[in-house]
Amino acid sequence: MSLTQRTSALTKIVLNNLAHQHDWTDLQPHSQPDLPRTILHGLPPKRLYVHPDEQVEIIKAEKEMGHGEDRIPQPPELEWVLPLHLSEKWSPAEFAAVFDAIESLPPGAPEITGEEEGKKPWLAWRGRGRGKRMLLATVQDDSTVTYYWIHDGLVKPRQN
Amino acid sequence: MAEPIRISLLAGRYLVFDIESVMHLRREHGLCGVLTGTMPQNPTQNLFLGLPQELRAEEVGMLVDRGAGYVVDDAVEHLRLLKEMSTAKGGKRREGYVKELKEKRRAAKKLFDEEKEMFRRMHEGKRKKKEKKKTEEGDDEGSLFGSAVEAPVVKESLPAITPSTSNAMLDGDDPLGTAVVDLPKASAFYRHLNTRGFFTTPGLRFGGDYSIYNGDPFRFHAWFLSNCYGWNEKIPMLDIVTSGRLGTAVKKSFLFGAEREEEEGEKEGEVRMFCVEWAGM
Repeated sequence: MSLTQRTSALTKIVLNNLAHQHDWTDLQPHSQPDLPRTILHGLPPKRLYVHPDEQVEIIKAEKEMGHGEDRIPQPPELEWVLPLHLSEKWSPAEFAAVFDAIESLPPGAPEITGEEEGKKPWLAWRGRGRGKRMLLATVQDDSTVTYYWIHDGLVKPRQN
Repeated sequence: MAEPIRISLLAGRYLVFDIESVMHLRREHGLCGVLTGTMPQNPTQNLFLGLPQELRAEEVGMLVDRGAGYVVDDAVEHLRLLKEMSTAKGGKRREGYVKELKEKRRAAKKLFDEEKEMFRRMHEGKRKKKEKKKTEEGDDEGSLFGSAVEAPVVKESLPAITPSTSNAMLDGDDPLGTAVVDLPKASAFYRHLNTRGFFTTPGLRFGGDYSIYNGDPFRFHAWFLSNCYGWNEKIPMLDIVTSGRLGTAVKKSFLFGAEREEEEGEKEGEVRMFCVEWAGM
């Protein structure tokens, strides 16, 4: 099996796993000349990542709104997915190349204007200015897929 | 605290023996090192150890690069300084050293005397009470054994002092003249973190090369467990997945990074870092 066939099989496994096991929608393969392989982007059923500083902003804003039932909506965001096989070995250089090639938001993500951000400061973590991140989808031979976030740069960890 | 700080190289370990230096390193250079000193007769394995403080080779490399410290081979240096003190050149230093030893001894004797006096007073109080009790009970029996009770004879002795530092011996010595120059370089990854105010401690406790703190470890929990790789070093995916999983289990994320190797048109010495955490799905 050639390398491209193998990676496309990998992409297919991850795509099917996301669609059928994790209920993702809008799943699209994405390739670019400067990307070493086809990656994916899609929309998870619920929001997967909240930056701890955004969480602080949201809690502040909800407190100001009073103790009603009102919550700040947290719709799911489009995310990048990098399919990998467990037996692969990647160097920091290769991860850096993938991050350099992609935009922070996958194509089709809603634009957030500066004006909106001014009014709702937590939106700064959802727009074009959000830190680059990808889901590392690691595939085992028994087709188990594990998902880990990988962020570009030094990012404050979440309070688990 | 005057820089440069003296770092003693002993049996391949970098040690700092002066408490002022330890405090200075922590405040100004973001180095907490590891305190390793314990009493030989009562060695403990807990965290509450004392001087000397041990530094990692790359921490030492960074300090020397900054001109904030120098390293001496202490096994050689100690003997040299001792020998030099009996020559004309070291005569003045010898005086200072003897003076300091005497002062320390005097201070210790003072403490010793104070403690002795405290015990004496304590026992005096007890004896008075006993005698009072006896006179109330009557003297008929007491006269038989009473004379046997006497004040314990306290042996006069001076404290034996083993000096814990020999800093006074260094007075007036040219520190940089005897410094070890062949030192390991600090990795760019480590320097990058240190200059941004992050503290690092050895990471074995959490399963990595370093634990990384967003400030002094007395004040913060570690943010990351971390490994440093080469720019083109191949990392098995299993290592990334297990470290990510482990990091999440100890409420940290897994940080790994490398220094970019020089390429045409690329920024030299740029450090790239990536954080891995469990996605929760």
